[in-house]
Amino acid sequence: MSATREIISSGNELAAIASVDAGCMFFAGYPLTPSSEIMHVASDLLPKIGGAAIQMEDEIAGVAAAIGAGMSGVRTLTATSGPGISLKAENLGLAQMCEVPLVVINVMRGGPSTGLPTRVSQGDVAQAKNPSHGDYKSITVCAGNLAECYTETVRAFNLADRFMQPVFVLLDETIGHMHAKAEIPTVEAVKAGIVPRKTFDGPADEYLPYGAEQDQPAVLNPMFTGYRYHYTGLHHDASGFPTEEIETCRKLIDRLFQKVEKYTDEIESNEEYMVDDADILIIGYGSASLAIKEAINMLRKEGIKVGMFRPITLWPSPEARMHELGQKFDKVLSVELNQGQYLEEVQRSMGRLDIAKLTKTNGRPFSPSDIIEKVKEL
Amino acid sequence: MSKIVMRFTGVGGQGVLLAGEIFAAAKIKEGGFGIKTATYTSQVRGGATVVDIQLDDNEIFYPYAIDGEIDFMLSVADVSYQQFKNGVKDGGTIVIEPNLVHPTDEDRKRWNIVEIAIITIAKEEVGNVITQSVVALAIANTYTKALDKKLLVDTMLSKVPKKVHELNLKAYDLGEKYATEAMAEA
Repeated sequence: MSATREIISSGNELAAIASVDAGCMFFAGYPLTPSSEIMHVASDLLPKIGGAAIQMEDEIAGVAAAIGAGMSGVRTLTATSGPGISLKAENLGLAQMCEVPLVVINVMRGGPSTGLPTRVSQGDVAQAKNPSHGDYKSITVCAGNLAECYTETVRAFNLADRFMQPVFVLLDETIGHMHAKAEIPTVEAVKAGIVPRKTFDGPADEYLPYGAEQDQPAVLNPMFTGYRYHYTGLHHDASGFPTEEIETCRKLIDRLFQKVEKYTDEIESNEEYMVDDADILIIGYGSASLAIKEAINMLRKEGIKVGMFRPITLWPSPEARMHELGQKFDKVLSVELNQGQYLEEVQRSMGRLDIAKLTKTNGRPFSPSDIIEKVKEL
Repeated sequence: MSKIVMRFTGVGGQGVLLAGEIFAAAKIKEGGFGIKTATYTSQVRGGATVVDIQLDDNEIFYPYAIDGEIDFMLSVADVSYQQFKNGVKDGGTIVIEPNLVHPTDEDRKRWNIVEIAIITIAKEEVGNVITQSVVALAIANTYTKALDKKLLVDTMLSKVPKKVHELNLKAYDLGEKYATEAMAEA
């Protein structure tokens, strides 16, 4: 295992620190509870290393400026909460279409609309899969503890450059604001793991940014390096200019899917907690998993063997492993702070509908006793 | 040390969050696990605020205090006292600011309710109302004996600007003095 260090901090602060350590040089956004600390810390750290952080006039301008920086070639961050993602949605579609790498952190709060600004929720899981119109394949990771606020943000930057698209990091109010010890990799270890995005170094007149193989992302050279190309939200050909040619249009959207679908092994990540000898399986993620772990430990003291499967990468979902677990376990309980947004994915992956659910949408976290009570009902 | 669970409650803007961070950081320095969560409302000022602090030698997963497990609560606002008092275990200690918090007779039977004029002490004796967070820190540690005083004070000093070190040391000493007196009276 690589070297680690210990930091006492909050999830939001750790995510911002992770961004800078992962080579992010630009932040643009608009402060929104409960995500604002990410912007505060980014604004403090980035100018010190020659980067920049800017508060734009609104959420839309925030993501637009971030995408612009991503287009120019630097690692870029924006952060907000669900209402901000709603506003950013159109531009997030543009980034998917143009294949602009970008990390978008959403610290989830109660919704819909302005909802419950200071309270916890996991209500944006479905939104993260398809925030805007059109077909593309979301990459979304979800931190389940303080250390992961750091490590998953680092991973998101690497995934964004590898797959050339926005990557969502989902935190929630509980994880974003809780304050404790986190054991995280050293800066050196993080720097050593950075793989910069691919570039084309042949003659400029042979450069075709979107001329990639069908399972590969676009190759977008940094701006101002002698390579000229075109960005558009319209369907485009290998050069980046608009086209409606039938085969080109088909291949473009197929490629946006295949570049992710063929390499899910590189993206997938999950935790299995006391699953091996369990009789009952709980599926949960994010801060809900903290209450689930506590509940599992309490239930096991009573002799009730429960385990947890926690997807860390929510999209694409760990469907193969969930399918296996669905065959193994008779009793499966899905626990999430929404009305069952991921439950549908669990049902699809397991190929069965009889999954018990425990949900909550009043802005309050699950307590371990909520989960214990539900498990005993099964 | 067994697990110690504390809850600080007030209203938004009073600054009780800092005390929680200091406790958690000091416990971690000692080699254990400390965790702080804060819950607040979307009202900028005046909404009920609660800070939960858990200190344990073993790893803590669930970050919030579990109702019925709270050993010690401190409250400087009635709205949050009423809302969060039921999390305190029977016989647990609740320190209140008597000018602002009004417990019922039943409350006084159920819990060890201690009256210390935290805000008045900070405002008039220390000379700056902002130091109430450190007065509260001292009171909480005197009652719970959660951490070594020097470790806690050093951690506190590391989190406040140097120019107010003297002021905060005074706040800590006064908090400790009033808590010790209240314990002797009981």
